[in-house]
Amino acid sequence: MNIIRNPKDVLSGLLFIALGLLFGWQTQDLPMGTAVRMGPGYFPLVLSGLLGLLGLIILINGLRFPGEMPSGIAWRAVLIITGAVVFFGFGVRPLGFLPALGISVFVSALASRLFTFRTALLNTAVMVVFAWAVFIKGLGLPLPLLGPWLGGY
Amino acid sequence: MDLLDNLALGFSVALSLQNVFYCFVGALLGTLIGVLPGLGPVATIAMLLPLTFGLPPVSALIMLAGIYYGAQYGGSTTAILINLPGESSSVVTAIDGHQMARKGRAGAALATAALGSFFAGSVATLLLALFAPPLANLALQFGPPEYFSLMVLGLIASVTLASGSVVKAIAMIVLGLILGLSGQDIYTGTPRFTFDMQELSDGFDFVALAMGMFGISEIIRNLEDEHQRSLVAAKVKSLMLTKEEFKRIIAPVLRGTVIGSFLGILPGGGAMLSSFASYSIEKKISKYPREFGRGAIEGVAGPESANNAGAQTSFIPMLTLGIPSNPVMALMIGALIIQGITPGPNVVTEKPDLFWGVIASMWVGNFMLVLLNLPLIGMWVRLLTVPYHVMFPAIIAFCCIGVYSVNNNTFDVYTMALFGLLGYALVKLDCEPAPLLLGFVIGPMLEEYLRRAMLISRGDPTVFVTRPISAVLLLLAAAALVVVLLPSVQKGREEAFKE
Amino acid sequence: MRMLSAALALAAAIGLSATATAQDYPTRPITMVVPFAAGGPTDTVARLVAESMSKTLGQQVVVENVGGAGGTRGAGQVAKAAPDGYTILLHHIGQATAATLYRKLPYNPATDFEAVGLVTAVPMTMIAKPGFAPKTMAEAVDYVKANKDKVTYGNAGVGSASHLCGMLFMSSIGTQMTTVPYQGTGPAMNDLVGGQIDLMCDQTTNTTGQIKGGKVKAYAVTTKSHVKSLPDLPTMQESGLKDFEVAVWHGIYAPKGTPKAIVDKLNAALDVALNDPKVIARFADLGTEPEPKDRRSPAFHKDFVIAEIAKWKPVIQGAGVYAD
Repeated sequence: MNIIRNPKDVLSGLLFIALGLLFGWQTQDLPMGTAVRMGPGYFPLVLSGLLGLLGLIILINGLRFPGEMPSGIAWRAVLIITGAVVFFGFGVRPLGFLPALGISVFVSALASRLFTFRTALLNTAVMVVFAWAVFIKGLGLPLPLLGPWLGGY
Repeated sequence: MDLLDNLALGFSVALSLQNVFYCFVGALLGTLIGVLPGLGPVATIAMLLPLTFGLPPVSALIMLAGIYYGAQYGGSTTAILINLPGESSSVVTAIDGHQMARKGRAGAALATAALGSFFAGSVATLLLALFAPPLANLALQFGPPEYFSLMVLGLIASVTLASGSVVKAIAMIVLGLILGLSGQDIYTGTPRFTFDMQELSDGFDFVALAMGMFGISEIIRNLEDEHQRSLVAAKVKSLMLTKEEFKRIIAPVLRGTVIGSFLGILPGGGAMLSSFASYSIEKKISKYPREFGRGAIEGVAGPESANNAGAQTSFIPMLTLGIPSNPVMALMIGALIIQGITPGPNVVTEKPDLFWGVIASMWVGNFMLVLLNLPLIGMWVRLLTVPYHVMFPAIIAFCCIGVYSVNNNTFDVYTMALFGLLGYALVKLDCEPAPLLLGFVIGPMLEEYLRRAMLISRGDPTVFVTRPISAVLLLLAAAALVVVLLPSVQKGREEAFKE
Repeated sequence: MRMLSAALALAAAIGLSATATAQDYPTRPITMVVPFAAGGPTDTVARLVAESMSKTLGQQVVVENVGGAGGTRGAGQVAKAAPDGYTILLHHIGQATAATLYRKLPYNPATDFEAVGLVTAVPMTMIAKPGFAPKTMAEAVDYVKANKDKVTYGNAGVGSASHLCGMLFMSSIGTQMTTVPYQGTGPAMNDLVGGQIDLMCDQTTNTTGQIKGGKVKAYAVTTKSHVKSLPDLPTMQESGLKDFEVAVWHGIYAPKGTPKAIVDKLNAALDVALNDPKVIARFADLGTEPEPKDRRSPAFHKDFVIAEIAKWKPVIQGAGVYAD
């Protein structure tokens, strides 16, 4: 553990190196061209290399200078919030706009430790009515209210 | 004097009862959609286009213009209140504006944004009236080499958007540049960084990226410690600016107006750079550089003014040459064509009532926006006192709707979730998201202009230094690089000495 | 409980209307997908036609812009839509060129659609930067041949109308120029007016304002006959390019399998729109006119698409440019 003086820098350095490698690997099939007539792969490869290099500098800095540990991760919030957003994307077509929105709002409310069933339900109802009034009635967004799974089109 | 006659004509058009009404409708609607994250002026104007068929051309254009600059006003509101920038220009406002809100100064931040925007909008409108044709010709002097040099300058300046480590800020910019390249290469049509997904053939969506990196990751971070977050709500202090704050914003507003007015004229990304440029300058010359990133009022005043000035002057190429400088202007040209007017250099002389009427209406509209927005501040700030566990699910709902409505594409919603996770991870590691977003916006343009300049010059790299405007911009970039790197070099030495 | 049953009744009603027969068509708004950004020339054509068709059909025809991937994203979406006549596509010449430009196209432009009818063919103009030396089209051709390493041709991106016109021009004079692609017509026009690039060929919709304002030099129109809004401009054929003819034609499509009765209803509404004096007047402002009566039928449109695919295949393959 003594080698790693600044865990935040070491981790971010590794993250940047990994991303640099990932994107660099993705440029493999692209024609490079020359500096004069740059192909589609030229710029991306240069940038990927640069990202990896910067990651390395940050990593080395993290080994030289002391720093803090990252604070605790809110796993519950990470999972629930991401899940609620992904659910909206998944549900908006088959279920329709309002049902998908309502469920997403309710589910995301679960991420809070102060969650109560009543507030969440009320919040969901208010948001669904508000979204209907503003986005559908007010702005006329072309979104199907109910999807085919619920008898709409 | 010609100008007075023209302005008199303009105001006689803009102040007719009907046009004042449409100006108000446009400004109000613009503010509303600006406040709603994701839903931008492009989508709104496209939806309203059929409504304008029945209006006289002047009224139609006045209303559409109102939506555009109204949205610039409204966009800063969500950025300040809940750290949710819906457009590239409000990314900068979010940095210090939201920190001010956390300190209980949301009212002051919103007031600064409104007042700064009004001042900048008025000055830019006057510039538009006085110098539109010569300014348009100046914009034509900007060829690919000049744009490339301008983008380089913008990139270097964007390092100052972060208040932490410079190396990390640069790494974030580079990551943004890479993400921005995703999609089809415009020169050959080759797909790049699309991971074989059809949905990525036009790259990542900016709104999805910004809302993920800022909005979603911010919510997750706030949920780490809800007790602390609810204290923020209780701290709301007086709404208006203190005398000292007022003094501090005067100079940044003036500088922002100049920067925005100038960069706004340049089609293809000039306007977008203005708020970033203003922020960098304010941070570098401020007496309180340490406050930047922690709620410096100059960091709201300058960029907001620049942004609004740029929004006004970006009408110059459209009105004087018929060339759109951004997608919104392209829509306005479409609206004019449907109305039976061919936009081009002749509009100024053939339709003076249209040209001057629209210009005059911009001032009227800006005035209305201030009247509309100042009283609203109290309401917005009260919104902050809503308990966070009630507010954040609503924010999630707005993010989802906003992102989905941009392209009616569920893929963008998943993108937002992904960048929410990435944004959270990066914030945990002290990597700030703002430079990444600027890189994302500039990346494709940087490459596009570089390759285009090389194509036109037949591969002669000296074009960047032999063309005077480009050379000056590159010199400025070099100077900026020194200024940006110096403090960190010194700091590095200090740290080295400590050991 | 009452609310729930009301919701169910509503849902059932909506479900029923979706399966209503062709006689009642249309019973709800029709979505007209335009595969390009709002405000562009194609969008303008679509909105003019949609407004008039709405009146005839008694239901709103709502234009929805599904831009991206050179028009193939919007077209692909309509190809996969339910063939009930409530989702239709208005696309331009790109419908035919995509068949060759994209080697991995997820739909077949010739067979995955029911052709509804052709709308209009917008002429194009060959224009040059203000200080470009040649005075006429013929001189310009000689100049390009003599200075092929120096002349630059701007276009609005792979697959755009300006790209197609440029390819056709270069293949008909047998000389390659340096092609400089842009993201859309706006920035390309900006660089042409500013003298950064030499030549461009684009739709009259985009060029008439600059030509009339004297900001660019105009050489010729690409159609067989002169254009009313620019009467003095000679045609390409008059300028010595014998076989050169290109126009940006637009057509309306429904997904494959749409009942014939519905296609006929749409075609009849389109026909009314193309006779509408307001549409004709606006088209004239754009420098174009509605397709003549004998070219408006679904059958003509269907054969026309197949012929155009065949026409562009060798040009695109010859240039060796692909969009994927």
